[in-house]
This record gives sequence, C-alpha cells and structure tokens, in this order.
Amino acid sequence: MEVFRYSQNAWGQSALEGVSWDLLPVFIIAAATFVIVHALFMWLFAPRKQ
Amino acid sequence: MTDVVDKTRDEQFVIRHSLIDRLLHWVSAVSVLILLFTAFLPIAGFKFSWVTIHWVSGFVLIAVSLFHVVRSCFWQDLHSMYFGSSDVKEIGAALRWLLQRPDSELIKPGKYSPAQKLMHHSVSLIVLVTMITGILMMVKIDTPWWDRDLYWLTDQSWGIVYIFHGLAALFLLAVIMIHIYFAFRPEKLMYTRSMISGKLTRAELLDQHDPEKWRN
Repeated sequence: MEVFRYSQNAWGQSALEGVSWDLLPVFIIAAATFVIVHALFMWLFAPRKQ
Repeated sequence: MTDVVDKTRDEQFVIRHSLIDRLLHWVSAVSVLILLFTAFLPIAGFKFSWVTIHWVSGFVLIAVSLFHVVRSCFWQDLHSMYFGSSDVKEIGAALRWLLQRPDSELIKPGKYSPAQKLMHHSVSLIVLVTMITGILMMVKIDTPWWDRDLYWLTDQSWGIVYIFHGLAALFLLAVIMIHIYFAFRPEKLMYTRSMISGKLTRAELLDQHDPEKWRN
C-alpha cells in the first residue's frame, strides 16, 4: 500500500502529488472499528445509570 | 451558573444552543458533507464535475467558521470550551465508572463534556488545515476573482500542500463518521435534539450537567 502519490512533471521528474487514496479505506475502517468496539462495549459492559 | 436552572424553573427547559448557533452548526454540517462527498466520490469512481461545488462549499465553510470564531470570542464564554485539568479529572472519573471500579462516581461537566470539547477541538484543527491548504490550492483554479497560476509554488511545495489537505480530509471523514455515530446513540439523542430545537429539559440538565459549571 502506498502512502504518497507521485507523478511525472513536464521535465520527467518525479513530483509529489499528495497522499495515496489507498488510505481512504484505512480511515473508513478505523472509524467503523471505533464505532463497533464502542457500541459493543456500551451494550455489553457499560454500567447502567441509576 | 445557577441562573441556568433558576430562570427556567417554570419553563422546564433550558436553552443550550441559540438559533444562530444552530444555524451555524447545520450550515457547517451541510458544507462539510458536500466537501467530503465531492472530494471522495470521484476517487471512489463516481465521476462528475466536482471542483466548483467543492470550492464554493469550502468558501461557505470558511465564512461560517470565521463568523463562529468572532461570535465565540465576543458574544460567548470561551471558557465553556476550555479543556483543562478538570476535564482530565472528569475523563478519569468516567473511565473508573465505566470499568466499574469501587467508589467510582461520575463528575458532571458544565455545558460541554470533555468528549464534546475534544471533538470540537479535533474538528477545528482538522478543518483549519483543510481551509489553509484549500485556500492555497484555490490559486490553481480559475474563479470569478482571479485566473489560475499553476506555478505559484514549486512542485515539491504543492505536493506538501496536497498531502496536508488530503490527510486532513481523511481525518475529517473519520471524525465525522464518529460524530454522527455519537449523535444517534440513545444517551446522546438529547444533544442532537438540542441542536435542532435548542433546548434541553431541566431534568436532562440536572441529570447530565453541573449547573454551577455551566457557562454560555
């Protein structure tokens, strides 16, 4: 998986293009994992308020 | 701030967000969603003409954010959003309570919980990075006010600007997903409702917040 994107500029040199969009699913999965873990913890383990 | 409760004893509700703050929130929310969709849908394969929609939404977000900053500094109490040692203590107490440690007791926050403050500050920082880099990137597109200049920065410098813009956008996507999740959690629905109606009931206020710490 690439972290950065590169392209060739007009002189044939490698130019930085930004972050790799391979990271898009990584961030989506990280956020979804947080949501699922939090929801499961709150459902199964969190004490109920009196 | 005992006034919060006392002055509303008869009305049975308190105003948490005034109309102008709710409008600011929802205009920001719509512009952020448009920015995220116009940024990531083309990457996901949905091709459409997204650039103009993206920068116009960006300008709306910048205008709304500047208005919010000015309003917060001069018409609201900035202390309500200050994250300090008392917030660390509240987080510690909440963790002990969640882990069901003996003698653990929740410490009620003022107007905003530590988690809400952290969410606000995270979004603020991320949006600030997207705004600064987004404004710089505007140099490379034609607008009604200027013609584009592709060579204003070197390739390497543009690359760094793109990295910060892209990374901030990815973090913003993740944070907004988490924000929307919390907005729909049963115990947080009252906050979502208050962002629509502006109100919390007096019972909700006393159950979840310390009126003595509440600052508007």
